[in-house]
Amino acid sequence: MPTTGRTMTASIGNRHFVLRRLHSLLGLLPVGAFLIFHLWENSQSRFGAEHYNREVVEALQGLNYLVPIELLVIALPLLLHAVIGLAITREMRAEPIRYRYARNWAYWLQRLSGVVILLFLLLHVGMTRIQGLWTPAIRDDLYGYMQTLLSNPGFFALYLVGLLASVFHLANGLSTMAIVWGLTTSAAAQRRFAWACAGFGVLLAALGVHGMLGFLS
Amino acid sequence: MRETPSTIELRIRRQDGPDTPPYWETFVLPHAPDHNVVSVLMALREHPLTHDGRRVDPVCWDHNCMEEVCGSCAMLINGVPRPACSALIDQLEQPIVLEPLPKFPVVRDLLVDRSAIDAGLRKVHAWIEIDGAWDTHEPPPRIAPQQWAADYLYSRCMSCGCCMAACPQFGAGADFVGPAPLAQVRLMNAHPTGRHDKTERLHAIMAEGGLSDCGNAQNCVRVCPKAIPLTTAIGELGRQTTIQALKDLFGSS
Ligand code: HEM
Ligand code: SF4
Ligand code: SF4
Ligand code: FES
Repeated sequence: MPTTGRTMTASIGNRHFVLRRLHSLLGLLPVGAFLIFHLWENSQSRFGAEHYNREVVEALQGLNYLVPIELLVIALPLLLHAVIGLAITREMRAEPIRYRYARNWAYWLQRLSGVVILLFLLLHVGMTRIQGLWTPAIRDDLYGYMQTLLSNPGFFALYLVGLLASVFHLANGLSTMAIVWGLTTSAAAQRRFAWACAGFGVLLAALGVHGMLGFLS
Repeated sequence: MRETPSTIELRIRRQDGPDTPPYWETFVLPHAPDHNVVSVLMALREHPLTHDGRRVDPVCWDHNCMEEVCGSCAMLINGVPRPACSALIDQLEQPIVLEPLPKFPVVRDLLVDRSAIDAGLRKVHAWIEIDGAWDTHEPPPRIAPQQWAADYLYSRCMSCGCCMAACPQFGAGADFVGPAPLAQVRLMNAHPTGRHDKTERLHAIMAEGGLSDCGNAQNCVRVCPKAIPLTTAIGELGRQTTIQALKDLFGSS
């Protein structure tokens, strides 16, 4: 094929393309799926300390292959998504004030929320799963531990920010993912799907807040 | 109706050369009906006096068609990237603030070097290989009117660079080719002759600086003066590259 000029050429052999598509996919599977599961799991706090500690936490902690699952299905994909996400965030030249379009704000908030989630998760995972490794009291009565934590207004606010950032990031991420993979092409389809994702986000946020309040009842 | 002012006040970000620091100058001109930003700059060129009466070098800018088809007059007008020839003075807030089109290197004053757009078009193979100088024994290609209508939207791109200026992923130091070249890939891939190079174009936009660098901020489609459906093109190319990746992974057809 005769070609003039310098044409770029790449495909599945291209690291850049593969990493970006991997990043996109990981956001939904397994990271997004885990977020949904995690918020559902914690909404069980509504049924009291006994149910939450024994039926939910203990049942999960008793899973065979728990540690490999946690590492391979949750931690590693999240870490990969976060590292590539930070690299993507570095490319941003957002001008949210000059261009006040909703999608431009969503673009900017997607990156901002990513960084917020990362910081929140370091704290959240550190204070629960990691600290729980050498503090059996946390593992045995996670309900009570979370109740004490969330009774502190500062921590409640922090958890609320972490929750809403995660839910926004997933819901908005779903709507851009549909464009990245070519599920939605026309402007009308992209708009319709964005509304569907917003609806999903509101439901998920409600589930999450419901779970947080469950620890305080 | 807004009251018509008797003067036109311009605040212009000037720069004497590519590497010299920018500075601001204010000019006040008599109002005339039907002025647009290009015609005001022409009037200013006749008498380049600042508002405090200093005679300065005339302001340098680019223009050609005066009917929003050549794209050369794009600049930042009151903070928004748009062609100057179709920016009517009476519809603008005064003082009118003019700045060079961002993201492109300044040559002088409001004149920028937009060759990055051409480089992008070359990178993504945004042209059609015509057949040789021999008879192909094929009738002329036929395009259904519906497809023609959809493709026509993309053919109006005038490489003004407004979409690129507004794109948060495009700019110096980044590889991203930007929205305008991507939209041309969408157009050329649909063309009856151009589609023979579809795979090559898709492979081009699957490389560094290609489609994956779009972050879906969608500013491009909001500022494009020709209302080109850039984000539809980006979605369609998302689908085309997904299918291409599957073909490359598992074998084509
Ligand atoms: C609860 C954890 C997280 C979930 C559920 C999640 C989910 C997602 C999803 C579904 C997308 C859409 C992918 C696409 O548009 O192709 C996405 C995009 C993104 N994520 Fe995450 N993510 C999480 C954590 C993070 C973290 C910790 C960071 C980095 C600090 C991050 C940075 C990004 C960035 C920058 C994008 C935009 C990519 C683009 O537009 O090209 N995410 N995320
Ligand atoms: S797509 Fe629109 S804004 Fe971009 S270069 Fe073409 S005409 Fe200008
Ligand atoms: S949708 Fe993509 S190409 Fe358009 S402005 Fe946003 S990042 Fe740039
Ligand atoms: S002079 Fe041609 S677009 Fe303005």
